[in-house]
Amino acid sequence: MTESTRQPILVVGAGIAGVSAALEVAETGHEVLLVERDPSIGGRVLRSFQYFPKFCPPSCGMEINIRRFVRNPRVRVMTNARVVGATCRAQSWSVTISKAPAYVNDRCTACGECSKVCPTKVADGFNLKLVEVPAIRPYHLHAWPRRYVLDRKACSTNCKACVDACTYSAIDLAATEQQETLEVSAVIVATGWDPYPIERLSDLGGGVFPDVIANVMLERLASPSGPTGGKILRPSDRTPPKKVAFVQCAGSRDVNHLAYCSGVCCLDRRTPGRNEKLLTQASEVDGVKLVKGKVGRIERDDAGTLVLRVEDVESGRLLKASADLVVLATGMMPGVRTDWLPFALKKDDDGFAVDDPEQRVFVAGVTRRPEDVAASVRDATGAAARALAAAFKE
Amino acid sequence: MATDTNIAPSREFRDEVMRRGGADVARCYQCATCSSVCELATEANPFPRRQVLAAQWGLEERLAKDASVWLCHQCNDCTARCPRDAKPGDVIQAIRGIAIEKLAFPSFMGTLVARADRTWPLLLGVPLLFWVVLLGASGSLTTASLVYHNFVPHKFIYMVFFPVTGFATVAILIGAWRFWNLLGKGAARSGSFLAHLVPVLADIVTHRRFASCGQTVSRRWAHFILVAGFVLAAIASGLIIPAMYVFHVELPIAFWNPMKLLGNLAAACLAVGTVWLIMNRMDHTGRTGKATGYDWFFLVVIAVVVATGALVEVERLAASPRAGCLLYILHLASVTCLFGTFPYSKFAHMVYRTLAMVHERMAAPAGSSNQSVL
Repeated sequence: MTESTRQPILVVGAGIAGVSAALEVAETGHEVLLVERDPSIGGRVLRSFQYFPKFCPPSCGMEINIRRFVRNPRVRVMTNARVVGATCRAQSWSVTISKAPAYVNDRCTACGECSKVCPTKVADGFNLKLVEVPAIRPYHLHAWPRRYVLDRKACSTNCKACVDACTYSAIDLAATEQQETLEVSAVIVATGWDPYPIERLSDLGGGVFPDVIANVMLERLASPSGPTGGKILRPSDRTPPKKVAFVQCAGSRDVNHLAYCSGVCCLDRRTPGRNEKLLTQASEVDGVKLVKGKVGRIERDDAGTLVLRVEDVESGRLLKASADLVVLATGMMPGVRTDWLPFALKKDDDGFAVDDPEQRVFVAGVTRRPEDVAASVRDATGAAARALAAAFKE
Repeated sequence: MATDTNIAPSREFRDEVMRRGGADVARCYQCATCSSVCELATEANPFPRRQVLAAQWGLEERLAKDASVWLCHQCNDCTARCPRDAKPGDVIQAIRGIAIEKLAFPSFMGTLVARADRTWPLLLGVPLLFWVVLLGASGSLTTASLVYHNFVPHKFIYMVFFPVTGFATVAILIGAWRFWNLLGKGAARSGSFLAHLVPVLADIVTHRRFASCGQTVSRRWAHFILVAGFVLAAIASGLIIPAMYVFHVELPIAFWNPMKLLGNLAAACLAVGTVWLIMNRMDHTGRTGKATGYDWFFLVVIAVVVATGALVEVERLAASPRAGCLLYILHLASVTCLFGTFPYSKFAHMVYRTLAMVHERMAAPAGSSNQSVL
């Protein structure tokens, strides 16, 4: 046995791919360190209303994973943490993890007394800033570790209302950043993805008209734990829209935006995998009209209605379709930004990361290629196996 | 589809489109962004998606009778937004170029001008040689004079330009006739030609359609000034004839004479319009459309005509007979080339686009979308 076989494997990012990879490694009996920059695990999937195509709440699947974590002593989960230093050696990596100040520590029981007295409101990052919440709050309904978060920068000077309200001494406003350096045998990168920003699609009204929103925003609006309690309301006037237009493939397979296909936001009514039946079902729903053609422009008429210009390729006619709310299905950009990791990843032509076996760096999930949840989980299993093989290699 | 449609693809046509500027036509994946961003596309008959597909498939016949190809004013909004960088604007431009060649009478002239990227020395050189030989044979070459009609007698001007213009007129009329019949096969028409021509001419005079062009909207005024220059030049030249033969105005006409002022204004418009268009085209080369040698030929010939014409007049002041006469020969040769290639160069769009616009108005709305959906 070499030294590296006793060192943990580092997994960066606790979205569905990182969580799956960490659990797969740990359940073989190997040590794992899972580092997540957010206060809670779950990543993008937990922000969805329903898991596709089964239409069940994603929190349900995450609960199963949390149980696996709780039962397994070999996983160490560090939330609010970033990898800030990394040096690759012959048999191991030396990594430095920075933990954000723990203003709320693990004595927190999530009783909620602090939120009630907090005088400051901040934009809710988890809900894509669609709503305002107290500066001290649960990160989201299903957050794990179950511990409140404090947006310390937003606090007014000398305010300690939350500290006074907390009966568990769980709040320390003077907490500082902590750093820890340790040795790991291999690295699994599962830093996930960012939605392509709709502001770059100004021809489609992205960032121009408030009622043109991104698909990820619709997921939050539809979610019972979202900013509107599950009611889909127009951002402009908070009324339910009568007619909603879904613009698929917005900014994807497009040399001016994302040249690749993300496979989850389709033009051409593509149905990757087993989804054809779902398309048939959707097209049979009353009031649903499917049009093949890329929307070129969205304007707003004098009455405030959004007007989409699109050629219906099947009839050969130019349509001007009106809608109260437009949802742009934008693609996924790989989470390979340099501020997410202290070392450079090998990349493919589209900017997605690829394995670097010589350095014992393995990539899982959408960081590696655009894919849906099920494929990410399978992908994570593969990355776990490759990382374990590298860790055990003499 | 109710009935099967047999299509006759032509590989040669597709290759020709690719050679003439539509090199990236095969990249198109029919998403229809182009049609939905085109300001000139109509609800019943959007373009250019179907035209790009027809070009990809080599459906020459279908494109030959499709007026939409000519309704495009090449603003390149489609090219700027095309997700595949297939450059629909360049594809449509290439289709128009091929149409001019195929409609040409006599056909060898169409072929010759269509390959202007290589044949331009011939197209400019033959008129130049012709004038040198004509003037040499008549002994004029040895009598350089700044009174240009002493150098080139008027009878020579008439001898050359009446036949050249007459030939070009007959040729373009034959082309126009062929084109009009082809369009008729594409869509049934009704109503009177003249009644529809009037609003079309009004559109052309005001350059209304150019106003919708997003990427290259500045071309509206550049093109407008160039057209104004041609119209003013035609009026000035038309006035000279009665001035000389009815009113016996002495030549060269004095600089203060209204006719001379009009002519100079025309030259100024032509110069400004040409330079502006050339700059515009160079600015937009690349991302929003690329001009081929054929596209450049027409604009360059106008530039030579304007430059030599202006210099001939300036030389009169500088009083260098030899240089003046040399420039005058170049001027006459370039004007001969411009008129002689009119039915085959991009100049011909003046006639074909006008006809297409009249046809669009006369074609029944239902008829135009009657063709199968590609």
